[in-house]
Amino acid sequence: MEWKPKIVAFLCNWCSYGAADLAGVSRLQYPPYFRIIRVPCSSRVDTRFIIQAFRNGADAVWVSGCHPGDCHYIEGNMYARRRFVLLKRLLEFIGIEPERIFFSWISSAEGTKFAETAKLIAEKVKKLGPSDFFVKRRAEVP
Amino acid sequence: MEGYTEKIRQIAKRLFEEKRIDIFIGYEKGTNPFFPRPTLISDPQEVEKLIWNSNCGLNLCTYLTGRKERIGIVATGCVSRSIVNHIIENQIKREKIYIVGIPCKGIIDYRKVLRRIEGKEVLRIEEEGESFKVICDGFEERFKKEDFLQENCLSCTHPNPVIYDELVADPVTPRSERPVYKDVEEIEKKSPKEKRSYIEQAIEGCIRCYACRNVCPHCYCPTCFIDEKIPYFGKSIDFVDTLTFHIIRAMHLAGRCTDCGSCERVCPMGIPIRIFVKKLNKDAFELFSWQSGMSLEKGQLLSTYRRDDYDDFI
Amino acid sequence: MRFVLKDDFLKKLREISKNYKVFVPVKKDYFHLFQELKDDILPDFSFFNTKLSPKSILFPQSERMFEYSLDKDDPDAYILKEAKKDFSPQIIVGIRPCDAHAFQIVKQNFDTPEYKDPWWTKRYSLTTFIGLACNSPRSSCFCLKVGGGPFSEKGLDAIMYDLGEGFLIKDITDKGRDFLDKIGGDEAKKEHLEKAEKLKKEAEEKIKVDLKIEDLLKRPVLSVFESDIWNSVSFPCITCGICTFLCPTCWCFDIQDEVYGKRGDRIRNWDSCMFPIFTLHASGYNPRGEKFRRVRQRFMHKLKYYPERYKKGIQCSGCGRCIMYCPTNMDIRRIINMLAEEKRNESISSLSCKD
Repeated sequence: MEWKPKIVAFLCNWCSYGAADLAGVSRLQYPPYFRIIRVPCSSRVDTRFIIQAFRNGADAVWVSGCHPGDCHYIEGNMYARRRFVLLKRLLEFIGIEPERIFFSWISSAEGTKFAETAKLIAEKVKKLGPSDFFVKRRAEVP
Repeated sequence: MEGYTEKIRQIAKRLFEEKRIDIFIGYEKGTNPFFPRPTLISDPQEVEKLIWNSNCGLNLCTYLTGRKERIGIVATGCVSRSIVNHIIENQIKREKIYIVGIPCKGIIDYRKVLRRIEGKEVLRIEEEGESFKVICDGFEERFKKEDFLQENCLSCTHPNPVIYDELVADPVTPRSERPVYKDVEEIEKKSPKEKRSYIEQAIEGCIRCYACRNVCPHCYCPTCFIDEKIPYFGKSIDFVDTLTFHIIRAMHLAGRCTDCGSCERVCPMGIPIRIFVKKLNKDAFELFSWQSGMSLEKGQLLSTYRRDDYDDFI
Repeated sequence: MRFVLKDDFLKKLREISKNYKVFVPVKKDYFHLFQELKDDILPDFSFFNTKLSPKSILFPQSERMFEYSLDKDDPDAYILKEAKKDFSPQIIVGIRPCDAHAFQIVKQNFDTPEYKDPWWTKRYSLTTFIGLACNSPRSSCFCLKVGGGPFSEKGLDAIMYDLGEGFLIKDITDKGRDFLDKIGGDEAKKEHLEKAEKLKKEAEEKIKVDLKIEDLLKRPVLSVFESDIWNSVSFPCITCGICTFLCPTCWCFDIQDEVYGKRGDRIRNWDSCMFPIFTLHASGYNPRGEKFRRVRQRFMHKLKYYPERYKKGIQCSGCGRCIMYCPTNMDIRRIINMLAEEKRNESISSLSCKD
């Protein structure tokens, strides 16, 4: 069976989730590898969520929120912006390929952008292959 | 760092006599020359116990969390920045502490010394100016301090305290030769595969004792994330669980760590723990011009933002 | 008694390691650890003591107890089964007398008439302990004062004396005699025995610390519990747990379930009474939430509760690891003497229950 990537997508309820919805309603095609999790705001996405996604076998993680300045909660995505930049660089530092973590700003009217980004991400992840470094497996204990 | 001990004792005695403090936190001589014992004195008769030497590497700010008395404390540059972070995060009030500032010339890395003398047991250390003498059973040698400093001291940017009420000596000039983030840059140059094998080697000895977390002044959460049941990240010595602990802990310290080196000093297994937070601090400095613990006015790195922050998202 | 030259000894050890698991001290960086002897491993018997005690050979830091799988392709799916273990005979060569004595202390807990820890007792019965007497104890060692000694034979199957060019090996039990037969060597000569005696005297004289353990054992438990020193003595402690993990006589563990994907494991890990959540109840109440209570508990357990229950001296073999590696220099010798010398009105305290 051909390997299909498992990509976990955290989408903010007010903007990016709406964009995904719009893409669906507009019948825009994008690969079916995405497991979408709706969060109220992109800043709800804690470091632990992304780490747990990788531990559970996700091949890539995608977090998407409102454009800076347009957050439904005024400034949530501004805090998230700093956190995600640092986390992405840290995970790159420990050896997880940078093409496994994606952050984007997609507003709820940008259905096409959502589909295009999804296609782009799926392509990049397919090239990398399954994730095997940070996956929680049977503990190597006696 | 000669004469510091005498000065600290005088200051402490004076503070008790002026009734300016209730307790004084410093170091006393213990039974291990590399680890002087942190001590709390509440009686002016006991000031003779206080000492200061180049092995006083533990960040005393850990003992400030949750205390309500008026406290006198000795602080070098990195420790004073930790105190600033404590004040910003409402763990201690500025009026309650009297900071005796110590311009620091560096802390000795005991591992470097033990490697050089091939594991002989050190009974005493005598310091004199820029050198120190190591005395073992039937063996003595004098070394230059400069060759045996801790890694974080070699790239120290703030040896002088950034806040203090009184200094024990004149400020020292910061060292400038060594680039601050050299160790991080060396790892960044590797390929992902090499990075992974470096990390695997670095973390493999971790025995999950949590000494690094306990000694860090910024780890004061009543329940640490690793002790929580949901999500349960695993408490065994499995590699992925151990790496998870170090990564998430590093993210919790982003922009707060002042690189005091206590975590690496106390680690019984010699894990290079500082490397993760050092990487985060490097990025914070390059992207957001952020340096931890420098000013009492600003908020912390991850609880403030600017409209023009670095943004390379899709 | 046999005498073996060091090179011959190593050769014979490698032959033995083909049929048995042989654990030897190995130099890593500036310290030593016990590792299994393989072809690329070089043992190093000139060391003070290993950083981690050999207790992990019988009591691994993380050990799987049970496992299950929900994978339909697995023939054992939906069955909770005991994890498969590797119980092959093993020999620990070069264990110090303090660590061997420590195994006897741990045995009090893991091998009782009512309860036996199945894996610890099985591994113990399959292990041969070949000790290496200490020619030069460290300044943090005090084995002589707690019922052991640098040349003590407690808990050992055979003991080796390092005479410089070779080892003088004395067998103590049948297992020791088996080992000696495998090693071979020549009959010991009179000068070997005399040298060993001399080394023993020199080593025992090096341990000079004055420990008032008898005085401490005489004090009533409640009086020590309510001592005034605990608050000040516990100040430096950062409750990290290094002392408990490195201590060869500490035995606490925690059992956790880990579920990932379609599989699950029940794993037991070393736990430490110094950790803040060690006594956390499910209700949220923590009887030992404050630091001084945990520090007091550790020393009370080692110095009062264990001797009162088992009547075999204190729960300490004097290896000194907790003194050497404690980052804040909490010294058990200092605490023993402070408690032994404390003057308290003992007749009143037995009625009060302050804490």
